[in-house]
Amino acid sequence: MSMEDGKKGARPAVDAAAVSRRTLMAAAGCSVALMGLGALKYAGTPAQLRPPGGQDEERLMAACIRCQKCFGACPRRIIVPAKLESGVLSVRTPVLSFDDSYCDWCAEENGGVPLCVSACPTEALHLPPEATAEKTIIGMAKIDQKTCLAFRDTGCRYCYDACPYDAIELRTDDGTNPRPYIIEDRCNGCGACESVCVSLTAGALASSASERAVVIRPIEKA
Amino acid sequence: MDKLRIAVSGGLFALLSIGIVAGLSTGTLSGFGWDAFSLLCPFGAVTSMIAAHLVVPRGVVSLVLMVAFIAVFGRAFCGWVCPVPLGKRISGFFKSANRRKVEQDERRERMLDIARHQLSCGTECSECASCKQRRAKLDSRHVVLGGALLSTVAFGFPVFCIVCPIGLAFATVLLVWRLFANGDVSILVVAVPALLVLEATLLRKWCARFCPLAAFMNLIGRFNRTFRPVIDESKCIESVSGRPCSRCSMVCEAEINVRHPEFGERTLDDCTRCRACVEACPAGALSLPLRSGRGVQEGPVTIEDNVDPSVLASKPAGE
Ligand code: SF4
Ligand code: SF4
Ligand code: SF4
Ligand code: SF4
Ligand code: SF4
Repeated sequence: MSMEDGKKGARPAVDAAAVSRRTLMAAAGCSVALMGLGALKYAGTPAQLRPPGGQDEERLMAACIRCQKCFGACPRRIIVPAKLESGVLSVRTPVLSFDDSYCDWCAEENGGVPLCVSACPTEALHLPPEATAEKTIIGMAKIDQKTCLAFRDTGCRYCYDACPYDAIELRTDDGTNPRPYIIEDRCNGCGACESVCVSLTAGALASSASERAVVIRPIEKA
Repeated sequence: MDKLRIAVSGGLFALLSIGIVAGLSTGTLSGFGWDAFSLLCPFGAVTSMIAAHLVVPRGVVSLVLMVAFIAVFGRAFCGWVCPVPLGKRISGFFKSANRRKVEQDERRERMLDIARHQLSCGTECSECASCKQRRAKLDSRHVVLGGALLSTVAFGFPVFCIVCPIGLAFATVLLVWRLFANGDVSILVVAVPALLVLEATLLRKWCARFCPLAAFMNLIGRFNRTFRPVIDESKCIESVSGRPCSRCSMVCEAEINVRHPEFGERTLDDCTRCRACVEACPAGALSLPLRSGRGVQEGPVTIEDNVDPSVLASKPAGE
């Protein structure tokens, strides 16, 4: 008690409860910054191509902690971290890229049980028990007739041959060579067509486009 | 021990990075495991389940395991596993030797000041509460923890995960790898590490002042009674000869004043089990025993006889 009363001045400069005001202010600043970051939610984010089980965007964003496990779980390496274009808040969440391969629900590698879903520890990727590959809509294939080689009468039909769901038909419009058309209520956005499309690479015919002629587009929510 | 710690945390980071590069599904420190087995970051598990209104078995199991770990080993995760202190070491490497020395000397003087003051206070140690651990309070880290929780509740997603330096560190590995392996050019390859560096420089002393994970562990660590640093009073120079020493307090990476906990910025709940204090003690008085009780002082110590008489003389007798 002697200390507390008379000799306070003798105490070392570093006092017991020494959390400096400046540090506290900085910490409060961090909290405000986190709130601000959270509020970006209302700026809206564009729809994404999510792996199976990620179709409930609300749930995925709420639960995903960006642990990167699903990226490694996909045997086809088609799950990639979302970029800035997908919105600041989506960055590093899982999206699909069909550059090299497509999603077959792990049919080949795991008997049709999506490995990404079973790998996700937070259940951000989650499939209801009755879900099937056919009914789980990842996105929708769209063909750009300006860059599609078949629309230049080359007879290209890679996408048609690749589609596992018979969602592409070949039609011969007034005696032309066959051209592919998407049957929208069969397409689930698996990406097989996009992954094989040669419009960007087929020699002299390659267009100056930056995308393949068939690309999977996310389904915009109504 | 220091080298061992670098090897453990660095090795783990390297292993997980190999997992990322090789495309194994081992995940990162935020969510680590194979198949059904998974250990989640306890804070990630909590915020994710709050935000998604879900009770996820793996999340609950991880949380229980991590809480049990913290209750036994305190913040050992910070000292032995987390990659962030590694990064700080690397940045410390670029600090000029001069600057480092100045900082070291400052700390040394501060600790000696405290020791001198405490030794000459003229009160018997057994009667004075000063050397006992001060009651654990909330500090700046808990403010950040509160902000992280509040933003999660308010906006319905784990906001802190976006900027967590641990997550950013592993994301950097992934992005750089994708740049080389897949030619995936993205502004993120620059932006993610830049954010990491920004956090490290803008929020210097991240671990001791701002990290909400550390705050979380501190809260649970308050129940920890095992493997805490304990000073053997029969060996400690300060209690045996009454001369200031406090070398243990000069080296503690968690900024605990191990000898005079009341004066530390942090309490012993924050011990990361780095063992720096054990190694620094010239008298071999420190250990981290299985059972350690609450504070440092165990039983009465009399040092009055050893105190410089001039100091005592300057005090009104009997006070
Ligand atoms: S279901 Fe299989 S192939 Fe499809 S994205 Fe998931 S892990 Fe990849
Ligand atoms: S495994 Fe789940 S929590 Fe982890 S990044 Fe993928 S979706 Fe997010
Ligand atoms: S994405 Fe392409 S391959 Fe897959 S179902 Fe749709 S049209 Fe067929
Ligand atoms: S120096 Fe000692 S008290 Fe400080 S964190 Fe390391 S082991 Fe714990
Ligand atoms: S370093 Fe050892 S001798 Fe010195 S004050 Fe700490 S416990 Fe006592």
